Order: sequence, then structure tokens, then C-alpha cells
Amino acid sequence: MPTQLRASGICKRFGPTIILDRAELSVGAGEVVGLTGENGAGKTTLMRICAGLLAPDAGRVRVAGRVGYCPQVPGLFDLLTTNDHLVMFGRGAGMGRKQAIMRGHAILDEFGYPIQDKAVTKDLSGGTRQKLNLAIALLADPSILLLDEPYQGFDRGTYVNFWDHCETWRSQGKAVVIVTHMLAELARVDRVMELAPHPSRAHRWADA
Amino acid sequence: MPLRRVLIMAEMHGRDLLRRRVAIALLVALPFSFYLASSDSGPGAAASGGVALAFAVSGAALFSVLSSRAADQRLILSGYRPFEMLLGRLLFLGPLALAIAAMFSATMAPVSSPARPWVLVLGIAVVALQSVPFGLAIGSAVPRELEGTLVLIGVVGLQLATRLDSVASKVLPFYGPRELLEASLSRHAPIGRPLFQTVVYGVALLIAARLCVSRRVNIVRHEPLVLSRSAAGVARSAAGVARGAADAARTARHYAPRRGRFVGQEGAVRPQAFQGERWPRHSRSRGRALR
Repeated sequence: MPTQLRASGICKRFGPTIILDRAELSVGAGEVVGLTGENGAGKTTLMRICAGLLAPDAGRVRVAGRVGYCPQVPGLFDLLTTNDHLVMFGRGAGMGRKQAIMRGHAILDEFGYPIQDKAVTKDLSGGTRQKLNLAIALLADPSILLLDEPYQGFDRGTYVNFWDHCETWRSQGKAVVIVTHMLAELARVDRVMELAPHPSRAHRWADA
Repeated sequence: MPLRRVLIMAEMHGRDLLRRRVAIALLVALPFSFYLASSDSGPGAAASGGVALAFAVSGAALFSVLSSRAADQRLILSGYRPFEMLLGRLLFLGPLALAIAAMFSATMAPVSSPARPWVLVLGIAVVALQSVPFGLAIGSAVPRELEGTLVLIGVVGLQLATRLDSVASKVLPFYGPRELLEASLSRHAPIGRPLFQTVVYGVALLIAARLCVSRRVNIVRHEPLVLSRSAAGVARSAAGVARGAADAARTARHYAPRRGRFVGQEGAVRPQAFQGERWPRHSRSRGRALR
């Protein structure tokens, strides 16, 4: 299984707080990795570093192919419609207007997205916005998918559907990393990587 | 291809702003209300109206940058370049500013009856155009809306409060446009120098915005995993070795002892890898002292 993403020796600190200490992550083609860990362990930081949105203090990330990143908090424009988002993000990936809308709608249909041409995203429910967030990550057909708790706000049917899609992505040869706290679904991933908080943060500091 | 990305960016920012109907109404109403409120004060009314126009347009430019902050990096990840995003905003906000300036000029010219009406129209247009790079530069440089708004109010307010011939006024971005507005009231005041100064300042603001936006939204381009055996590949491998050495140096710096004293909870075991090292005083930022 050829490696699609390899992050090695990743260190990151914010001010005095060490978030990541020589973290390693390697994902092969057709592999689904579950990234778990308690709050503040550095899961999102590691995902952002792997996506290229954050520079590590030390360490290196190497990728083979396009990266699709679905952040935990969807960075969408409140007053743009679904199609506006698809056109804008699709154009960045070199897609034409029609192509971006067709591909976007095909992805959204798979997740049961209620497409309304004139509805702006601020009027959509949290789960629906999250579906659009996920669709934008998938729009350019990336070979590496970094999904940071992508199912937040999904209804039960879509949630089950999402995990079914993971198997589809695996069969398509994509390298998938999913940040998850859903332990019941960990059986559906190929490998689980638990990120522990740095030992320096396990200590409590005495009051004066 | 980059032109298409710029056009899409302009279109989407246009859609986003034009759907804010109240904001658009305020954008038009603010300069008119300032001007009409001070129209009794004679020549000073033109400057007041110009400053209000600067407030309105640079405010719109500022918020166009800051409101999309969360999405900007993701847009870069999808393939946009920082300068394309900046140009897209400029391409929409520039004509919008000129449209507001045209409406404003149509009111000001008959009411103020300047000696040279065309200079007044030029001055208003220059105020509007200068406001766009000014708002973009502030929006790209500051971290949040509050800071940006305060800087904007401070700079534009200072421009209005200072005398035109003072040094402070001359170093501010709206000195040239303000001089043009004042020049419209006389038949002989020069217009070439203020116009030139405005253009230079505008270009400098755009360069500043470009640099700030790159620093804020740029992403890390990862190295490819597949190594080629070609000459280029060998060169890349050598570069990789050099980067590895740099990584090792960064790692060493990352774990270098910092000022402060390590104090763990009583009985706590200090992590093996960090024994003997001195750690930063975490609690300093929380307002606690260490024992």
C-alpha cells in the first residue's frame, strides 16, 4: 500500500504550551485512519499542519496527491448560496462553473442535502452546513482526505451514510484520516491513532 | 486562469456585499448625512463629506477582508493565490466606490458651488478609490474587527481633525484627496501634486495589503512523497537533506530550555525526556505565581 501522507517529527507549541511533540502520522492509499484523543490533545492542530494551514515548529509533512480538508468549524460565507460556494471553491481547483455545480450536487445528493437554489448558508441548519462543508472538501476529488469531526450535526441516517462512504473512499484508494470521538465506529477504520496530551500539560500548577 | 479566479472572487464578494441591503443603504447614506449636516459650514462641508465617504468605503473594504477570514485559508488550499483574492476584492469594491462617489458628487457639485466643479468630482472619486486599498490594508493587517474599526476611525478622524498644512496631516493617507477637495474651491490651487501623492500612497497601501494578506493566509506547500531518480530528483534529495538538517536545528530550538522554573504537582513524576530542563512558567499568563 503506497503511502499517501507522511508526517514525521511534528512539533508545535503555542506560547509556552506544547501541543505536539514529535508526532508521527502515516496513511496509505486505501486506508482509513481514526485519530482520537482527549480534548486539547492536538488532533485539530495535527490535521491543520497536515493540510498545510499551519506551519509546524519542527518536522516535515510529505504528501502524494491533492489534499481535501474538512475543518471542524465550517468556514463558509453566510450570505452566499450553496451554488456560490461550489462555484467559488471549484474555480480554485480549476473547475468551470457548470462542472463545479454538477459535481457538488452529485456529492450533496449522496448525503441527502436539501438543495435550495436561493437559500444562503446562514439560513441552513447546522447539519446542512456541515454537509456543504464536507462537499467542498470532496469537490476537487482529493486523494487525501483530512476530516475533522465531519459528521457534527448530521442526522442518524446521514451519519450512518457517512461511515458507509468511508468504505467507498477506501475502495477508491483514497487515504482518509478522520478525527473522531465515536468509539463505536472505530471498528470501521483500518487503524486507530490515539494522540495523548503532552506530559508537560498533565501537571497541575500550585497556587501561590 | 488566474483572471477567471479573480473574476469569480470579485463576483462572490459582490454577491456577499449586495445581499447586505442595510449595509449598502448605510454605505450611501453616511457620506450624504455628514455632508448635509455640515453644509452650513461652507467650504468645510466638502471635507466632512469626503471623510464620511472614506469611512464608509474603507469600512466596507475592511469588513470584506475580515468577514471571510475563516474561509480565506481554505480558498488558498483549494487553489487560489493571495493576490488573486486581493485583486478580486479590489475589482468589486473599486467600481462600487466610484458609483457611490458619482452619486455623492452629483449632490455636492450644485450645493457647494465650487470654483472648479470637475476638481470636486475628481477629489470625491479619489477619496473613494483611495479608501479601498486603505480598508484592504487595515483588514489584512489587524487580527479582528474591533481593532480594524478603531484604526480606521483613528486614521480617518485624524485626517479630518488635523490642519491641512500640518505635518501629521501630510503623512496620512487622505491628505492628497483632501487637498484636491480644498483645491476645487479655488481657481488656482495645484492638483497635480496631490493627485500624484494619492497614487503613490494608494500603491503603497496595496503593496502593504498584499504583504499582510500573504502572511495571514499563506499555506505550507508540502514536499511530494514520490522521489524521482532524475537529476532534478537528486537535486531535490540534496535539498531534502539540507531541510532535514534545518529541521533538526528547529527541533533542538523547540526543546531548548526556556526561562522559568519547572514545578510539578507534589509527587508528580517529571517526564523522562524533560528531566533537568527548565520549563516556562505556564501559570504566569493565568495570573498565578509558582512555588
